[in-house]
Formats: sequence, C-alpha cells, structure tokens
Amino acid sequence: MDASMIFAQFMSGLSRGMMLFLIASGLSLIFGVMNILNFAHAALWLVGAYFCYTFWYLMQGTALGLWLSIILAAIALAAVGWIIEVVLIRRVYNRELSEQLLLTYALVLVIDDLIKIVWGVEDKLIERPPVVADPVFIFGAPLDSYFVFVIIVGFGVAIGLWWFLKKTRYGHIIRASVYSREMVSALGIPIPRIYTGVFAMGIFIAGLAGAIQAPVGSITLGMDMAVIIQAFCVVVIGGLGSLLGTFVASLVVGEVYAFSILFWPEGALVLIFIVTALVLIIRPWGLFGTPVRT
Amino acid sequence: MKIKVTIIACMLIVLGGWVYASSSVAAEPYNLGVDLAITGTGALYCKDGVDAIKLAVGEINAKGGFMGKHPVKLFIRDSHTKPDIAVREAKDLILRDKVRTILGTYSSACAVAIKPVCKEYKVLHIPAISNSEGITLTHFSPYTYQVVPNSYMQAKAVVLGVAELAKKKGWTNYITIASDYEWGRSTQQNTVELLKKFAPNLKLKKEFWPRLGETQFTSYITAIMAQKPDFVIGSVASKDNVAWMKQAKAYGFFDKIPYPGSLISVSELILQAKTLTRGLIGLCRAPFFAHLDVPMMANFVKNFRAKYNRYPSDWAVMEYDAVYALKQGIDKAGSIDSDKVKDALKGATIDTTRGKLFFRKIDNQLSCSSYIGVVSDDPKYPFPIYHDLVEVKGPDSWRPEAEILDARSKEK
Repeated sequence: MDASMIFAQFMSGLSRGMMLFLIASGLSLIFGVMNILNFAHAALWLVGAYFCYTFWYLMQGTALGLWLSIILAAIALAAVGWIIEVVLIRRVYNRELSEQLLLTYALVLVIDDLIKIVWGVEDKLIERPPVVADPVFIFGAPLDSYFVFVIIVGFGVAIGLWWFLKKTRYGHIIRASVYSREMVSALGIPIPRIYTGVFAMGIFIAGLAGAIQAPVGSITLGMDMAVIIQAFCVVVIGGLGSLLGTFVASLVVGEVYAFSILFWPEGALVLIFIVTALVLIIRPWGLFGTPVRT
Repeated sequence: MKIKVTIIACMLIVLGGWVYASSSVAAEPYNLGVDLAITGTGALYCKDGVDAIKLAVGEINAKGGFMGKHPVKLFIRDSHTKPDIAVREAKDLILRDKVRTILGTYSSACAVAIKPVCKEYKVLHIPAISNSEGITLTHFSPYTYQVVPNSYMQAKAVVLGVAELAKKKGWTNYITIASDYEWGRSTQQNTVELLKKFAPNLKLKKEFWPRLGETQFTSYITAIMAQKPDFVIGSVASKDNVAWMKQAKAYGFFDKIPYPGSLISVSELILQAKTLTRGLIGLCRAPFFAHLDVPMMANFVKNFRAKYNRYPSDWAVMEYDAVYALKQGIDKAGSIDSDKVKDALKGATIDTTRGKLFFRKIDNQLSCSSYIGVVSDDPKYPFPIYHDLVEVKGPDSWRPEAEILDARSKEK
C-alpha cells in the first residue's frame, strides 16, 4: 500500500468529517446558545436536500444551477427555521429536556409526512455539473472533486462561525446570552430575537449541509435517521454546545471511520460508538464541553 | 287446481330469482395485503412494485376479480424497510384487514421476519423483491412462494460469468463490497462459496460491509483502490447502490478496477441514465426488454407506460407476476381458500411476463432467470439497457436439492 493511497484515505476521512461537521455544527450551536436539543435537526437537513433538488430542477441546464440551488436551499430552510422557532420552539425554552425532545421528535414525524406530500416517496437524483464529475489527483491520490468542495465549505463554515461568534458584536451578544440571559436582557437586548436568529442560523447550516449532501447520492426519505445518530455521536464526543469540540470530533469520527475501513472494515461503526461511550464514561461533558451549565 | 299452479309458478319465480341473484352478485371480496417499503432504503424499488400491483389488480377487477367473482381489495402498508415494522404491519394486515395473501417484501430481513407470521396464520406470502435464499432454503414455510431469482441463483449467474472472465484475463484476486444485512450477506456468501468451486485459483483479499443506508462511500472506495484488487464484486442495495455507483464513478473507480456482475436493475439504468458508466457488466433480475416477445410482457409494458408514463423496473415486473401467480393458483384451486391455493401452486407451471415458469416443489422457488449484460445505450430507449444479454435459467442456477435437504437437516 503506497503513501498516496494512505493520503487518499485521509482525504476521504476529512471529507466525511466535514460533512458531519456541517450537520452537527448547527445542532451544537442551537444547543450551546439556546439549551434546546433539536431532534428534528436531521429531518430539517433532509428538507434542505429536497429544497436543493427543487431549485436545481427549476434551474436545470444553467451553468450555476447546482451552486445557486445550494445557497437558495440553505436560505429557504433558514426561513423555515425562523418560523419554527417563533411558532413552536419559543414555547419550550423553560421546559424539561424530555418535553423539548418530545416536541422536536413530533416535528420529525410532521416533516416526514410533509416531505411525502410535497415531494412524494420516489428518490430524487441531482446530476453533478461537469466541473465536479471527474476525480482530481492530489499528490497522486484520487479524490472525488465534489468532496474538495465539501472540505472547503466545511472549513469555511468553521472559520465563519468562529469569526462571527468571536469578532462581531452580534456574536458577543450571543455568547453573553449563553452565560446570563438576565444580564443581556437587562441591557435592553431582546433575548427572544437573539434566539430566533441563532435558531435560524443553525437551521441555515443544516440546510446548507443537506443541500451539499443532495448530489452525493440520491435523496430519499429516511436518510435523516441514519445521519442523526452520527451527528449526535459527534456532539457528544466534542461536547454539547462547543463548536470547537464539534469540529475536532467531526474530524476524529471521519478519520477513525476512514482508517478503520482500511484496516478493520468490520469494526468501522463500532469504533465510533466505542469512542462515544468512552467519552461519555470518562468525560460526560465531552472533549471541549463544560461540566455544568445553568 | 288453478291455485296450485299459481302457487307452484310463484315458487318457481322466487326460486329462480334467488338463484339468479346469488349467481350475479359478487362473492366475498379477496383482501390482498402488500407489505412493502414505501419509505426508507427500499423506497426506490418498492414504488414501482406497488404501482405494478395496482395495475394487475385493476386488470383483474375489471374482469370481476379472482375467478371472475371475488373483487380484489388492496391493503397497502409501509414497512419502512424495518423488519420489526414489517412484522407489525403483517400482523395487522392479517388480524384486522383479514388478508389472505401478503405480497412484498423489501428487504430480505423483512421477508424472513414475516415468513413465520404468515405460516402461523396460514396466509400466503409471495416475496417478489427481497431474494435472500434464506427465505425458502431453511425454516421452510409451505405458504411462502418466491417469484424472484434468489440470492444463490443470482450469485451463481455472476460466478459463471466471472469465472470465465478470470480465466481469460488472468485475474487472481478480488474484493467484495456488500450491504450489511440479510440480502447482502447472503449474496456475498453464496458468491464467495461458488467462486471457490468454479474458480478455485481466485483469492478473496478483503470484504467490505457498508451498513444499509450508507450515504458516503468515499472511504470504502479509497480503501478498495488501495488494495489494488484484480476485480471487485458488489452487492449494494437500492438507493445505497445509486450513491455507491455515483461516488465510485467520480473517483474513476470503474476505469481502474473491473466491477463485473453487480446488481444494476432497470431502476438504476433509468435513474442514472446520464451518469452510469457504459460498458459495465451488470446483473439484473427481470428486465422487461429481455422478454418483449412474450405477449404478457408486451401488454404489461404497454399498460404500465400508459398508466404511469414510465418504463417498468425489474421490481414492477416481479410484483406484477406475483399477483398473476396468485390468480393462477386461485384459478387452479377453484377456491380462494389459502390452504387450497397453496396446494395448487405447489409445483405449478404458471404464465408470467417472463414466459412459462414453474415453482420447484422442494422450496417453492419460481424457475425464473437471472440476466447479465453490458450497460449500453440503445436508440429505442431514453436510458441505457443491457446488450449482449445472457439469460441464466433458473434450473441452471438454483441450489441442488440435495444441498437444500442437507441445509434443512442441520436446522435447529
């Protein structure tokens, strides 16, 4: 086995990790700021994929069809997220975690049925534009050119979120509201509006992830359930609410998965769950999380 | 005297009326259950299957139903491609909807799970998509009839072709990739065992088992390429297969490594019409274009296209055949009683869209063929079809009866 193939494996792990990060970062952001565990996150991710299909279908044949569809799908889903927060999520801020989970799980069922009504049960397929149809070779290692795009977007979202939360005034307010909602409120900043914005942002990233996933295979009902488990593994390992943790955990899960497929294919998924279980036992708040938050 | 004649005449009129009424009013409806994966991994295949069942039932009902007097009432349930849900729905179909037959199923794990339920309640079970050999090989149920070439038959068809290719090209080793569930395991295991027998020089380098529902195959693709096998045999299911083929192509996988005999059904040919690599050697279960000379197939394709405005997939063909197999069983039995129909179908020869076929007595497996061909464009269709199609007949590919008896003797 030559070095270029090991590098190819590393890159495939990186692309998997970035895909996971895109899904899990929105989940982590929403939990970190709002203390809401959104079980419907993956279902909304799936809606993002369907939105992308619809926009792509309408713009078929145009040079930028797929790329515009990805952006439009994320924006459209952010609007949906905005409505969901105002109509539903806002009402369970102070409720028990179990009630939040029940509400968001009910959302999963509603979304699944809505998808059936709007898009039907048939699989949808997006054709990739020629620019990402063929492999690229990096240091002699083949890589699906579309996953180069995925990796770039993943890093872009990570840096963008870091910059937004650390360097902008709005980001400072969001971080302050994590520690003391009352204090932020006392300064005249409307907490509900902050939360709505954060929720919409988290769902925007979910939409982006779903839209980016869409041309990878076919879009089909049920995809979300397979994804949500790994997304939860990522946020558990990284620490619920920690974006840095989510980023690192995504990379860890992606690479562990990729290299275990190379050396121990039977144990690829098991290893991820073993890592998750170990983190839960040794450091229940995750690698970068904080033990207690009120 | 006049009064007597009048009374007798009245009685005759009433009796005649009663006889006429009882013969012209429709008899008991036939409740037909469908337990398919409307959602989940199997949705790609099952949508076509359900549409074909509806078409067949519509045709039969237009002639008064089974035996011309039992209108068929359809009860369609979604198994979500999950065995526990498939079992729950099967029980509900039997106990609440009083179905006499359950058509389906997807996946093989669902078929294996509902088989004992159907046996317990003496309800016919006709899998037309799921094809693990385990459905009919062991824990045999006399109520289960399989109208799809099973995983052993498909594996043998592939192996015969691959063994020939290996000899020609000097291949010495290979890798397998198969979906990690009942069908994938069963197909892979049969393929490997048969390759040992028909091409003993070939060495299995490694096995890959992506979970059912996998969306990203990049790590599998690079891992396989790193091993540099002479060829790869794949048994990846449904929408996973679409993702796998799409991503493997984007890696240039098929240009570097031969990939003979993987399942590329008409669904994949249609869905990936523009992107599927031409020249691939694929396997399918019931391609309509192989039997357009059979009037039943020609009619089916014409009617299916007229109703749904698309070509039927393998899955549609086989579910359609399942309904007509049941119809012919009922006609032969002269009854809708499931026990009588079950007995009538035993060893029966039936007309199908794929020609005249028969159920083998030992396992109720239909003698249907497997098909191997080269993915090629064809001016007659808006999607590629198979050229140089080789039809491996059921009796040439199914497991010998002695091995079935041996397997059953080891059952616990």
